Amino acid sequence: MRDLKHLIYFENLLESANNELVQQAKADGKIAVGYTCYHMPEVLLDMDNCFSVRMRAPMTGSLDISTYYMSNYTCEFCRALLERTIEGGMNFLDAIAGIDACAEMNRCMENIELQNCIPNKKFFVTHADIPFKIEPHTIEHYATQIRNRVLNRLMDIYGVDTSDDAIRKAVTQHNEVCEIISEIGDMRKADNPVITGYEFHVLNLVSYTCPKYLIIDKLRETLQEVKTREPDVKPPYRARIMMIGSEIDDLDFTKLVEDSGALIVVDRFCFGSIPGREPISLNDEEDLVLQICRHYATTSQCPRYMSDEKVEERRVVADRLFREYNADGIIYEGLKFCDFWGFERALASHIQAEEYNHPVLSLDRPYQTFSSGQLRTRVQAFVESLEIKKIQAKGVK
Amino acid sequence: MMDLIKELKSLVSVVELKDIVNTENLNADKIKENVKKKFENTKEGLENLKLDNVKTWITYGDTEVGKLYNGKMTNRRREWRGVKSTLIDFKGWCGIWKDMLAFSAGSPRIPLGFLEYRWMASYLTVPSFVDRNTIGLRGPQLEIAHLHFRKVLKAGEDNITTLIKNDQKLGASVEASKKIVLFDEMMMIQIMCGFPNLIGLPYQLMPVFLLSEIDQLSCTYYIDAIESFGLPSETCPVPTSEAGAAVVDAYPKVGCCFISSSMPCDGSIMASSYQSRRFKVPTFHLTLPVRFKDGDTDKVAAQEIKNCIKFIEEQTGEKFDWDAYFTCMKRWNKETAMELEKWDINKTDYPQITGPSYELFRKYSYQMEGARDPEWYDLYCKVNKIMHEAYEKKTMCSRGMNYRAITWSCPAHYYANFSVWAEACWGINVVIDMENMNYTEFMSEDDPEQAYLDLAKLYERMTMRKHTNGGYANTLDELWRVVEEFNIDLVFMYQHVACKTMAGLQGLFDEQARERGVKLIWIEHDLMDPRTVSRRSMRDKVNSYMINVMRAEPVDASLMDYDDADTW
Repeated sequence: MRDLKHLIYFENLLESANNELVQQAKADGKIAVGYTCYHMPEVLLDMDNCFSVRMRAPMTGSLDISTYYMSNYTCEFCRALLERTIEGGMNFLDAIAGIDACAEMNRCMENIELQNCIPNKKFFVTHADIPFKIEPHTIEHYATQIRNRVLNRLMDIYGVDTSDDAIRKAVTQHNEVCEIISEIGDMRKADNPVITGYEFHVLNLVSYTCPKYLIIDKLRETLQEVKTREPDVKPPYRARIMMIGSEIDDLDFTKLVEDSGALIVVDRFCFGSIPGREPISLNDEEDLVLQICRHYATTSQCPRYMSDEKVEERRVVADRLFREYNADGIIYEGLKFCDFWGFERALASHIQAEEYNHPVLSLDRPYQTFSSGQLRTRVQAFVESLEIKKIQAKGVK
Repeated sequence: MMDLIKELKSLVSVVELKDIVNTENLNADKIKENVKKKFENTKEGLENLKLDNVKTWITYGDTEVGKLYNGKMTNRRREWRGVKSTLIDFKGWCGIWKDMLAFSAGSPRIPLGFLEYRWMASYLTVPSFVDRNTIGLRGPQLEIAHLHFRKVLKAGEDNITTLIKNDQKLGASVEASKKIVLFDEMMMIQIMCGFPNLIGLPYQLMPVFLLSEIDQLSCTYYIDAIESFGLPSETCPVPTSEAGAAVVDAYPKVGCCFISSSMPCDGSIMASSYQSRRFKVPTFHLTLPVRFKDGDTDKVAAQEIKNCIKFIEEQTGEKFDWDAYFTCMKRWNKETAMELEKWDINKTDYPQITGPSYELFRKYSYQMEGARDPEWYDLYCKVNKIMHEAYEKKTMCSRGMNYRAITWSCPAHYYANFSVWAEACWGINVVIDMENMNYTEFMSEDDPEQAYLDLAKLYERMTMRKHTNGGYANTLDELWRVVEEFNIDLVFMYQHVACKTMAGLQGLFDEQARERGVKLIWIEHDLMDPRTVSRRSMRDKVNSYMINVMRAEPVDASLMDYDDADTW
């Protein structure tokens, strides 16, 4: 396929957390709010004069300093963020909106806070408490937390307009980005998709990490481009993969998987689009923050939700996506030392294989893959096994 | 002179030798003078010394306890503690066996349980567990430890009896389970105070939690099983073992419903999906806020408690009995007041209750009893009476009282007796432990609305969770506060290798300790898996620190290095 017009531009944006669009927004006098978790409503951080930045630590090298602070038994994503912050790579942030969902990320943010890593007198880190299950009182609690610990602080410290009008405006902008990404994402359902998993990952990541008002034009243009894009006559992939698991912002990992002959058709992981890029619909009756929080809680597929219906929903959704996107296999991946995905991966991969009869590969991986031969070999072997299954299935027919 | 000291070393304990040579001011002339004074007529002196030694042995008992370990499962012999203390020990030992015999005869299904569940065999080693946890103790301290342990173990045996007697796998009827409500083992049981006609059972406590304290290798079987299933090896051994026990079907089939919880940590949350899948009983997930310190989480927490009570009512047909609940809370408040008295005594120069029995008793008081049993209250009274009498007499709580210490972070289950070892070996008295510093506010005795909130706060601040959740201040700032309050010399900083909440603050603990001049000894362990870090390695950490940093002399050098890898 012909290269996407803006792909290199997007890739360059992803080489640094403080990319050129972030710098431009800061120069425009905007407030940069960092966050890491899906449960921190991204749309509420894009209100008024704020813009959200989903925190990443691209090009991570040594983790020596953060390992001293957080030991070598904690998640590398958390350590990489701390390392990058200590190095000064997050100095552009005006606030970090944290969620006390994962203990390791919480500690990472507390380290940033206690070590006064960011030289900005107004800078603050906030931690909101979020629910483990979806019930009216837990959603109300979620909304209270977001209001008390995020919106009110943004309003008090930076004078951010958190009125209903401002919220609705932010939702409109957010929904347009979501619709563009979802429309492109849906094209992966085709037998011979006009977009690769890698390209889609790049597009989706820039939508999380760049100010939306600055990136939206290029996303619109890319959508038009993809609509008229001609796929290769012979599909370059040998197996269609659904990726499920913990945070992936490492493009090298996606590349590694696709270089092994796979095509990632479903990105059901943190920093992916399912969930993440569903438009938010608001009614006129209920409190807006409550509605937004409910949207994030109900669409979330995070293993932290422990109620039986949510646990079951994760399995059913995985099966539904598998069939909807015509996947050949599932890769369950988890960052090493991630408790949530460590437990979820072991059980869910077992259930998908035994009860839903889906071929599954279970992987744990470092934050930055670089060129891991071990991972490549495992993915290649999985792709081959899927090919063999297809050949055998044809033989039976 | 060195030959003489060498010879004397074989005759006297290190502590006595210390008196003679006064190692604190090690000076050749002074040593010579001391030795000369003590043994003016060497031959006669040595004879006297031998006689003194025999007298000491009869009245005080063994001074080289490490020599009792022979690298095998059982020790060479029991510790001799002098006449008086040995009688106390013997009485306690008889009591434990009496309870065990009564337990064995408690139900015809108990022998079947021994055949069905491998974990039950570990409970036969309970006397050895108590011996390990009382090394070096004498007098009132020994008596208190026995009282504590006997009560905890008796409650454990009662739990096993309930589990096995009503086990559907062993032939019990479903009907028998209708009055049994299962609780996640880490949760406290106080909510059941309002259901006096029901049995609240910390479900995994006996097959996993307490088991790992009794028998160090018992949980490795579960850990291996679940890791073979695909669970990464870096998760905390508590939820790992719980999930492993589910996979190998180690839980008796009892109970009409299960109260699972999001506590204390991320691993516990995730183990619940394994357990729900296996238990196949209606489950209520009690999920309390993590960021509980600020008041804006109280409302949702109280609502969760209300919903939990409603769930139990629906599942069992019982109604929450407020009178019964408040009766228990009155008792609980008195027990809490007595716990705080122990803290007050331990803040003085004459702490009376140190080491593991103190921490374990309070922990299990939360988890197993929750003021439902008046006998526990009687025990609190009895222990406090002994403690006050001993304090009045300025009784030394151990042979050496050289340092005041605190243990912080999650302790190693497989080395529950670590702090009593430190006391016997180095004279380090652990005067307070993070694990027994749970919720100590008084509970409402008459207001139901306040009671919901109290229960929520109690559960939020359960064992471990009070410190490891809710933000760094609960553990980091809190440690420095406690160090000051208890006048602590040393902090045993447990470094549970799989505990991410504490690992995430490791550098800050280190830095702030240096700034404040607090001495931290980092002691790695893997909670329920001694294959990662052995007991011996844990001891080495302290030994090395005491020798190289503190330049200290051990109270009982025989305990510095011995082999206990194969024992329970």
